[in-house]
Amino acid sequence: MMHIGLSLTPFGHYPTAWRAKDGQLDALDFSHMAAQVKQAEAGGLDFVLLADSFGQRPHDDLSPLAVPFEPTMLVSALATATRRIGLIATAATHQHEPYNLARRFASLDLIGDGRTGWNVIGSGDPERDREYLAVVSGLWDSWEDDAFVYDKAQGRFFEPDKMHVLNHKGAHFAVRGPLNVNPSPQGRPVISHVLTPGTLDIAARADVVFLPETTPDTWKALAASLVEHLAALGRQRQDVRLLANIVPSISTAADIADQMQEQAKAAGLDGFVLLPPSAPEGVASFVDEVVPELRRRGVFRHAYDATTLRGHLDLPRPARLERAS
Amino acid sequence: MSADQMKLGAFLMAGGHHIAAWRHPDAHADAGVDISHFIQLAQTAERAKFDMIFIEDAAAIRERNPEIASQAARSTSFEPLSLLAALAVNTSHIGLVATASTTYNEPYGLARTFAALDQLSGGRAGWNLVTSASDLEAENFVSSGLRPHGQRYERAEEFAEAATAVWDSVDDGAYILDAERDIYADPAKLHPVDHRGTHFIVTGVLDSRRSPQGRPLMVQAGASDVGKDLAARTADVVFSAAQTMGEAQAFYADVKARLAKFGRQADDLKIMPGVSPIVGETESEARAKYDALQELIPDQVGVALLASYLSLKDLSAHPLDGPLPDMPQTDGIQSRQQLIIDLGRRENLSIRQLARHFAGARGHWQLIGTPVQIADALEERFRCKAADGFNVMPPLFPTGLDDFVRLVVPELQRRGLFRTEYEGRTLRENLGVRTPARSSSAERTA
Repeated sequence: MMHIGLSLTPFGHYPTAWRAKDGQLDALDFSHMAAQVKQAEAGGLDFVLLADSFGQRPHDDLSPLAVPFEPTMLVSALATATRRIGLIATAATHQHEPYNLARRFASLDLIGDGRTGWNVIGSGDPERDREYLAVVSGLWDSWEDDAFVYDKAQGRFFEPDKMHVLNHKGAHFAVRGPLNVNPSPQGRPVISHVLTPGTLDIAARADVVFLPETTPDTWKALAASLVEHLAALGRQRQDVRLLANIVPSISTAADIADQMQEQAKAAGLDGFVLLPPSAPEGVASFVDEVVPELRRRGVFRHAYDATTLRGHLDLPRPARLERAS
Repeated sequence: MSADQMKLGAFLMAGGHHIAAWRHPDAHADAGVDISHFIQLAQTAERAKFDMIFIEDAAAIRERNPEIASQAARSTSFEPLSLLAALAVNTSHIGLVATASTTYNEPYGLARTFAALDQLSGGRAGWNLVTSASDLEAENFVSSGLRPHGQRYERAEEFAEAATAVWDSVDDGAYILDAERDIYADPAKLHPVDHRGTHFIVTGVLDSRRSPQGRPLMVQAGASDVGKDLAARTADVVFSAAQTMGEAQAFYADVKARLAKFGRQADDLKIMPGVSPIVGETESEARAKYDALQELIPDQVGVALLASYLSLKDLSAHPLDGPLPDMPQTDGIQSRQQLIIDLGRRENLSIRQLARHFAGARGHWQLIGTPVQIADALEERFRCKAADGFNVMPPLFPTGLDDFVRLVVPELQRRGLFRTEYEGRTLRENLGVRTPARSSSAERTA
């Protein structure tokens, strides 16, 4: 089964797509963003991805490719406007304290009932990013799944021995914990990362890995390096979902489905992130034409059979960190 | 907007403001992880035409001792900004004020996040600017150790200035989407920030349209001398804690008097003390509701809560039925400490009694009575220049808010003291505070 996400933009991924919406400022409104996401949900897509200009803040101009809302805030709003689709927000490790980031995503995962993902942008310092990811995961594991017992009669809100204080002291961070947010309905939020030769370390710790736009041969080479890095952490290729971008060109649904199946097979992909040239039109045509074709071929779900993002991606609940206390 | 009408905020918390609320039969035990619970509360407050919802914050659990922490509902909650983003798209008129600390955030990221809340809500966002005073928070961030009180405020002032510059980096109408001339955003309406200060370097432009209300509303709660000055200079609303009419009037007069030196008018800033109402159809019914909650407080939990607001590790060395010991000033929350000490002396309360009193609303004013009695008390403080409005802190959710909305709000409306319809769509319009023009510093860098 293929996994498919949508990369959300106000106008589409062609840099000039906005020109078709001359003067239509309401294209930047939440309702228009939400309409695209609901369309993707109607098509049974795994998730929408809110990119964040690769962690660069706008210097002196604004990009029509950028979603005009801070991504985690948009995910929260979208969570109450949708029921099933996964919601992945991008955030850079150099722009947030790990406690604040862990907390924001844990909160999103409660609001979305286990449908949240964090797309990691690294700081450029692999050692710092490794430590950062360990702190965030450790904070997410602060509470055992059955820690909160809400025993009114005994006056026991949670079982104290099911709360874990992280007490992390590393080279870059000192974080006591525990996280002041309840545990995630899906164990932990999903972690995704756009793979580059310099960030294999982050990718090897992710649940979903996005391949950059390049040739199938380069993909294969990157995927092979990824598998080596996974092995060093005791993980295997099937523990991650490997997705590449797909820009559906102007051709028939059958041609696009062919292209997706061929690429997936050639490069050993688990699926794709859809970059529609124009939005919302490109989202609608993919959902109305390509999705039914993929279903007819038996490679894409007919309806959601899971409730969490991990469930859609067919990823198991993560094992808890081993700990002394 | 009528000058003789009070403003009302609804201060939401999962189970309720009373420390033992979660144990009450009416409380949803898992309210703290139930977004639909919060959406319902927000919609209830909006039907009653409340000005705003208010959410507190701490970037840590609030009690170090796991045994004590595990007996209260305060250790976990939704993170405030993500909570309000979800409420924004499920409401249409009510303001949404989140607490966020300047101590462990940075200006661009936080300004951008509040700007997103403002866009999602159509101009209903507010920021309660606080500095972080607790050791438990400090231990979650690299910079170990608590920053001294004075330095926290220096950082807060610079933070507010830089965040304002980020909000002011985009003019109204900056995005034009002019296909014919191939102009997506008008460069003349973008004013990149170039802030280089003692604590922060902030550059760039905001990644969204300008706030529909000019800028998010600024709220502050600090009651120390330096906190009051910062509020008088930068805040639109001050959330305060006052027990007696005298305390409330003195605070009100003090803060309003400081406005002039920053070139501001008395109406530019609204003072809204907290009030925890326990409403009954009769006085004895209200008293019974209060007693039912009080019976649910474990002494250990109440005393630990009191100690945390006194910035003390614990009070267990002192007899529970004796008075509070004398205390030195600490780097923690100075103003609330004084309020507790004064309350204990004024009413001659033992540690146990003070703790039980404090557990209801953490030092805020508690009112127990009929709708008429509660409206009388609110009206008196409103008319005697002790408050421009109130931040309502129901002891228990949802029933405490329901009671206030069903019984007290109509009584205030009948007296002409509270609106029956929203005046506008933005938080600033409804509160009647000015929509700021772009700051002069942004003008200079333009």
